[in-house]
Amino acid sequence: MTTPRVLQPSLAPRHYRTINWVGLSTLYMKEVRRFSSVATQTILAPMVTTLLFLAVFVLALGHAVDQVAGEPYRAFLAPGLIMMAITQNAFANTSSSILISKIQGNIVDLLMPPLTPLERTIGLAGGGLTRGIAVGIATWVAMTPFVPISVAHVGFVLFYALMASLFMSLVGVLAGVWAEKFDHMAAITNFIVTPAAFLSGTFYSAERLPPFWLGVAHANPLFYMIDGFRCGFIGHADGSLTAGVLVLLGANAALLWLTHRLIATGYHLKA
Amino acid sequence: MNGVRISGTAHALGPRRFGAVNWIGCWSLLRRQFKNSFSDLHYTLLGPVISNGLYLLLFVIASSSLTRLDPKGLVTFIAPGLVCFAIAERAFQVSGANLIYEKHERIHTDWLMAPLTPTERAACFALSSTIAGMMVGTAVALMTLLFVPAQVAHPAALLFFAAATGMMHGLIGTLLGIWAAKWDQYAALYTFVLLPLAFLSGVFAPVAAMPELAQRLIAFNPIFYLIDGFRYGATGAATADLRLSVSVAVAVNLALFAWAHYWLRTGYRLKS
Repeated sequence: MTTPRVLQPSLAPRHYRTINWVGLSTLYMKEVRRFSSVATQTILAPMVTTLLFLAVFVLALGHAVDQVAGEPYRAFLAPGLIMMAITQNAFANTSSSILISKIQGNIVDLLMPPLTPLERTIGLAGGGLTRGIAVGIATWVAMTPFVPISVAHVGFVLFYALMASLFMSLVGVLAGVWAEKFDHMAAITNFIVTPAAFLSGTFYSAERLPPFWLGVAHANPLFYMIDGFRCGFIGHADGSLTAGVLVLLGANAALLWLTHRLIATGYHLKA
Repeated sequence: MNGVRISGTAHALGPRRFGAVNWIGCWSLLRRQFKNSFSDLHYTLLGPVISNGLYLLLFVIASSSLTRLDPKGLVTFIAPGLVCFAIAERAFQVSGANLIYEKHERIHTDWLMAPLTPTERAACFALSSTIAGMMVGTAVALMTLLFVPAQVAHPAALLFFAAATGMMHGLIGTLLGIWAAKWDQYAALYTFVLLPLAFLSGVFAPVAAMPELAQRLIAFNPIFYLIDGFRYGATGAATADLRLSVSVAVAVNLALFAWAHYWLRTGYRLKS
């Protein structure tokens, strides 16, 4: 009489509370270890590339620029470059994780565990966010010997760093879910991500742009990220900060919903 | 009758002789290199064209909105450097990435077994990289026409330095491909050594405008002489002495060729 009563609970489906914390943290730690075990390639390499960009632009234009937004050119450049590194690496982490899993066939490891679509989304995006912030901090530290970086508003720096890496992590998840070959990912990087990053106002001030390029900048979410982030450092923004905050909050909410939707339906994942 | 037939068979069983150069073998190895590296032409050409186009666009927007510099002059200066850089990057990838891939898949035995001399192997790797690099260079050069009118001051110098850049990076790629056991090592050397050398070689800024320490360091960077010579071929203006640039290009290529030849001959990291 007693034996079945003991067995029954263990055979019944396991119940989780609102959130499966063990599963979520496992997925998150898997995503973090994926990049931290090859930190030379995922943190140091982008840091070096960003420093090279700084050197190239300061050497090529620095001598001819008096001041931008009341700052020497390199102090203007540095925050934008840090933000570029953050966004590109947040994107790279989630997009490559999903695409490689799909190609190697181990995407089931993501789909089978007892996680809700929301938990999957958060676990993946959390990994990308962590890589973005890690690269951002590394780049910042590496730049300090060359550029005097002071912080005007810590709140802005944190808000924009987190929002931007969340944004690009989610875009990366979407790209990874959609793409089926490395060719597809190369196309997204070449045609969307790199142009958006380059034409985002990192290298020039939007205030003095011709109208066409000003329009391009305002249509680019990365412009608001870089502008707001830079404002956290130099205390001056080219565009409207309210617009920036609203654009980022709105865009992240929309992306979160869309990503959740795709993962819930299994689009390009369970087919 | 019998004797003739036997001697005929003996001839066919004996070692096959090649002339001074095994042309069929070289041609096959070249075709194999091209087959591996040209299967994805659309993005090996399009990627560099887009990213270099963005660099130029950035410089135009940044210089015209922030400085009183003439954007035309700046682009005229930068464009040849970018073409050279595109040649270098592609040439390096063709031999380097290909070799590591083949080592991983253990299919490098195909050309280790083939009756080719080390000179023929090294020459084929260098040549295929040079041609692939110059193809990308041509595509990037055509793209720069969107920004600046075509300029060829000295066609011979232009071709010589384009080929020298491609060959040098093809040979560096070959050496790196032979040496590296993992993709990590290949990527690390690319990011931490080759990319800084190429970026800090006067592609983007006249050396004269740099701090003195930087100027002195750049004089030791072979890529500087290649880009400077290539720019001379395009615009007719050079920073370094042209004879020095030619000598550096020839000497570095010869030294790298000898090195690659030595490793291919001894089978270092290939036959073990």
